[in-house]
Amino acid sequence: MNAIETTGLTRRFGQRLAVEDLSLAVPLGSVFGFLGPNGAGKTTTVRMLCALIGPTAGTACVAGKRLGAEDAAIRRNVGILTETPGLYDKLSALENLRFFARLYDLSEARALSQAEHYLRMLGLWERRNDAVGGFSKGMRQKLAIARSLLHDPAIVFLDEPTAGLDPQASRTVRDFIKELRAEGRTIFLTTHNLPEADELCDQIGVFRTRLLHSGTPEQLRATLFGRGTLLRLAGDPAPWRDTVAALPFVQGVELRDGGLAVRLSNPDEQNPLLARALVAAGANLRYMEPLEHSLEDVYLELVKTP
Amino acid sequence: MHHIRALLEKEWLELRHERGLIISTLAFPLLLTIIGIVAVVALGRVPDQDTAQLGAVQVDPALAGLPLEQLGQVVVGRQFGLLFLMMPLFIPSVLASYSIVGEKTRRTLEPLLATPLATWELLVAKSLAALLPAVLLTWLAGAIYVGGVALAALSPQVFGLIITPAWLLLLLLCGPLLALLAVALAVLISSRVNDPRSAQQIAGVVVLPILALFFSQLLGLVQVNIAFVLAMALLLLLLNVLTLVLATRLFQREAILTRWT
Repeated sequence: MNAIETTGLTRRFGQRLAVEDLSLAVPLGSVFGFLGPNGAGKTTTVRMLCALIGPTAGTACVAGKRLGAEDAAIRRNVGILTETPGLYDKLSALENLRFFARLYDLSEARALSQAEHYLRMLGLWERRNDAVGGFSKGMRQKLAIARSLLHDPAIVFLDEPTAGLDPQASRTVRDFIKELRAEGRTIFLTTHNLPEADELCDQIGVFRTRLLHSGTPEQLRATLFGRGTLLRLAGDPAPWRDTVAALPFVQGVELRDGGLAVRLSNPDEQNPLLARALVAAGANLRYMEPLEHSLEDVYLELVKTP
Repeated sequence: MHHIRALLEKEWLELRHERGLIISTLAFPLLLTIIGIVAVVALGRVPDQDTAQLGAVQVDPALAGLPLEQLGQVVVGRQFGLLFLMMPLFIPSVLASYSIVGEKTRRTLEPLLATPLATWELLVAKSLAALLPAVLLTWLAGAIYVGGVALAALSPQVFGLIITPAWLLLLLLCGPLLALLAVALAVLISSRVNDPRSAQQIAGVVVLPILALFFSQLLGLVQVNIAFVLAMALLLLLLNVLTLVLATRLFQREAILTRWT
């Protein structure tokens, strides 16, 4: 079952097309990474999926509720961490949470227990009565995350949750996201932090006005770069390039990281053939490693073309 | 209703921490009331020879034959009475500008709109948060003024000529309508500016018609009687309907998010 399903979702602002024909499905209980450059339309997409703004065309179903027809129900079932924390500086952390809990129709007792639960989880309980204006950026971000979860939403939209945080605070937030996933919540994560997306996301969508590609990080790597093997040879690998390229099962070869990166359709079967051919030609083969591409490679490859 | 109540309580909780805003909000009605009472006291002790020549005195037969010091009290008391109409315009424009533009500048509108809160609930809560203190402060200041004039008036006749049924109706009926107008205008202005002070300055022009009324009465061009007050209330009602329709059109969830921020 999908937590989020969109079909042809489109949003225009006057003549400007912000989101074009977005069709995606986010399975229940998964972490979906929504990646894209600045101005790609990610925030507009999130706003549409949270029933904050309407689409120009297309349909969407969020938490089983139809966008446009059940907007209030959608807002009740999703939590959102906006780009900026948007907290009331003059109020304490607890006052901020209690106010939002009331807007989500939580009873006073439930509001307090939820606030305590999340403030403790995020290490803010001791500062609960302090005015938010005196909080660090990391503390504000954590408090905003707590706010987005007060009403136990099935789907949580997190827009750049670790942006600008120090490594320790980022780690706390990432661990917290993993805990949320373990609880079975669906998380829609907008981020520029690609290692973070690689670490946290079950599925990734690369987006620039329209969805360029989606799948698991591994699928994206395989689709874009294929599978392959990195050969480590004694001495300069360059002279062996043509030898490798001449093999009939090799799809491509290039110099990379002091070795030869060889693209193969089926490395499990073709690696022994490759090794035999090189040794037979006189090469001193030291190591054979699976060819890995970072998510950053995938992302840059996808967004580089206009 | 509980969403509106939650928002109202949040507004007042925030206001509690804004000493500067509280002082600037309270200072105007307090000073105006005190100055008004002091002026009535002063004119009763130091009569002004020119008072009898004023247009306001010439057109009102009820003032004929009053001793000069009593006449002075009536004229100045009535003029200050009209200035009380500036309170329901000034106070909500300060509070509403701070409240609505403040949400914009602090970027708290999006999380707020992401809750199940209905847009009309937000508009009503924001309006009430500015309207209620304005109306209550105006009425409180009016009550203090009535008490002060009762103590300072040289005769019961002077008191009756300053604190007229028309003036009371003006305060009780036109006061809330003026406050509502100020709130609706603040919403309109807030959609276009990003600084509470700019919103207040623009909203400040709404006091100009009250100043016009002040001088018209002083010159004898206008007499504030029951008929005048009812006509003014009707006009305000129409203006309120017009501005509220415009404000409601601007105050839409999508417009707030995409054009206000």
